[in-house]
Amino acid sequence: MAMSPNKIIEAYMPLFAPRTVAVVGASSKGGALPNIFIRRIREFGYSGEIYPIHPAADEIDGLPAYKSLADTPKPVDYAYIAISAAQIAGMLATANGRVRFAQVVSSGFGEVEEGVTLQDELAAAARAGGMRLLGPNCLGIYTPRGRVTFTEIGPQEIGNAGIISQSGGLGTDIIRRGFSRGLTFSGLVTVGNCADITPSDLLEFYFADTQTRVIGMYIETAKDGRRLFEILRAAKASKPVVILKGGRTAQGLAAAVSHTGSLAGDDRAWVALSRQTGCVLVDTLDQFIDTLLIFQTLTPQPQHPTQRVALFGNGGGTSVLATDYFARLGLNVTPFEKTTIDALAALRLPPGTSITNPVDCPVGTLQQQEGRVAEKILDIIYGSAKPEALVMHLNMSAFVGRTKPEVLDNLVQAALRVQEHYPGLAHFLLVLRSDGDPSLEERKREFRAKAVALGVPVYDEMSNAGSALAALQAHEQFLHSRSG
Amino acid sequence: MNPIAEARKQRRGALDEQSGKALLAQFGVAVPKSATVNGADGVEQALKSLELPVVVKIMSPDILHKSDAGGVKVNLKSAQEVKDAIAAMAASPAIRGVRIDGYLVEEMAAPGQEIVIGGLRDAQFGPMVMVGLGGIFVEVLADVSFRICPITRPDALEMLAELKGAAILKGARGTKPVSQEAIVDVLLKVGGENGLLMQHASDIREADINPLIVNESGAIAVDARFILG
Repeated sequence: MAMSPNKIIEAYMPLFAPRTVAVVGASSKGGALPNIFIRRIREFGYSGEIYPIHPAADEIDGLPAYKSLADTPKPVDYAYIAISAAQIAGMLATANGRVRFAQVVSSGFGEVEEGVTLQDELAAAARAGGMRLLGPNCLGIYTPRGRVTFTEIGPQEIGNAGIISQSGGLGTDIIRRGFSRGLTFSGLVTVGNCADITPSDLLEFYFADTQTRVIGMYIETAKDGRRLFEILRAAKASKPVVILKGGRTAQGLAAAVSHTGSLAGDDRAWVALSRQTGCVLVDTLDQFIDTLLIFQTLTPQPQHPTQRVALFGNGGGTSVLATDYFARLGLNVTPFEKTTIDALAALRLPPGTSITNPVDCPVGTLQQQEGRVAEKILDIIYGSAKPEALVMHLNMSAFVGRTKPEVLDNLVQAALRVQEHYPGLAHFLLVLRSDGDPSLEERKREFRAKAVALGVPVYDEMSNAGSALAALQAHEQFLHSRSG
Repeated sequence: MNPIAEARKQRRGALDEQSGKALLAQFGVAVPKSATVNGADGVEQALKSLELPVVVKIMSPDILHKSDAGGVKVNLKSAQEVKDAIAAMAASPAIRGVRIDGYLVEEMAAPGQEIVIGGLRDAQFGPMVMVGLGGIFVEVLADVSFRICPITRPDALEMLAELKGAAILKGARGTKPVSQEAIVDVLLKVGGENGLLMQHASDIREADINPLIVNESGAIAVDARFILG
């Protein structure tokens, strides 16, 4: 019963770009969550029709209100529902096929013992009413292409990361923290109790959706794990999938009789899923965002999986620590060949500069020619060493009080310009390290925006860049090993 | 004969060793040549079709760990040694009084590296297959790798490469390398597309092939347990 990609897109577009939105539970006096939702989507630029549903009011937030979902002028693509749990099933059952997607914010369903039956009734009512159900107990959807959002602030830009979150709160974190690091989204759906729509359904959508280039999932339990596995397996990692799994325990089967049973456990199963489908497992929210960002900005090179990494920047200890950390991740920071070293030596950089890889240049070196020396060094690394990835790192704090402000600008400019000269030759990552000083953070924000717009991911620390690069490497290696 | 249907009919929660091996043989996994006897009386007849030395194992639905109960005797080189082994087992304290289905007499496998191949039904993902090196590697170090069934050949190769003790298969510490191909072959027959675990996904809750003995030319399943449910 697998649907074709076109059918899947067609089926889910009313959710991701609804032309009509019904809001159930808004108060005529304002202030309720559904009123806030109306304000948020208007502020977000939603231009379709909004139908408040209310048993008595004629008007809510300046919009004409309707008595039921069956009374709206046009059929409803997306209904946002936040009324008491017990009232919802009846309302859905009488929608008469006029609602495509119902999202139930209300709690008091399957997440509590006494709500289990109510949830079954809700799912049955949605089926009877001819609609798909999102939730219950879920915050909703953030979809910049549809200009619908459940969060207060979200980027307007339509991006390429498609997210599925089993937690609403974490969904908000992903949007806001992700945005501040340069991540933009093709959509983010919080799924709540998954009475009908599951993460697997949305995974299928994101695989089919041309706007989505990388998929991220926060998942706690996969009720339909078999289907999740089958979708991922069939997709053959055609898009990178990053999974942040909550509740990975090493515990074996509760009543295991065999060795095998006692050695199993949730963690083993998810690791297995990752190894055989090429999806990337991460452990923290930061890794999740860092990894999504690398896939958003860089194009995987399965023909030449990342092996050799060049490091270039200021900070000797930082270079050494990064070399160690990268090696632990399976990334190879080995010294350059003699020709490269000779070419770098010919630049006659001041004493204290190390040119073997890592290329460690103190501030005194980097400020040569107002920072333009960086471009020459990068040219040699690209042209002669030809690593699969290059991480340039700048400890911004070390420049304070020693150089003119434009030195840093020039360094970042050099990085971005060189990157443009050698498209597709090496993955280029920029690490901008700062001590948290507000003025440095502000400059970093500006640099980051410029860089990400040009397809250069920016990280706060070498370790963030390293783990993201290792995820890219794993994805490339999976594709490489499964090709031909 | 379908060993699983047979065990179900007898309301057993697990396959005995002989049925388990019969099931493996149906899927093309090599098992030792064997015969079943009810007691010392049948030994001479049974040995006509087997090559010495042999192993004798107790067959009882009441005994989970045969070795611990004294229900396994190896390297028996004559009919008399087999008969003595059976008599000693029947008289041992851990075995006296339990239900005895008979005694399994089987040819001893050639020595080699012990491997464990396992299976289980995961609550989220369904059938999964496991591989590890035998003995302390699996029992103490938990050095095993799992995959969700069905696995492919690259999956099977990666499972072996992932083991911390993988170097042992290639002949570390002066031993001969063993046939990785033979292990991959069994992994695919057990966990592959039309493998045992996929075909019997709804019947098998847990499985241990322990050990699978592998040498430079092949692999043979010397003991197997299948828990139904």
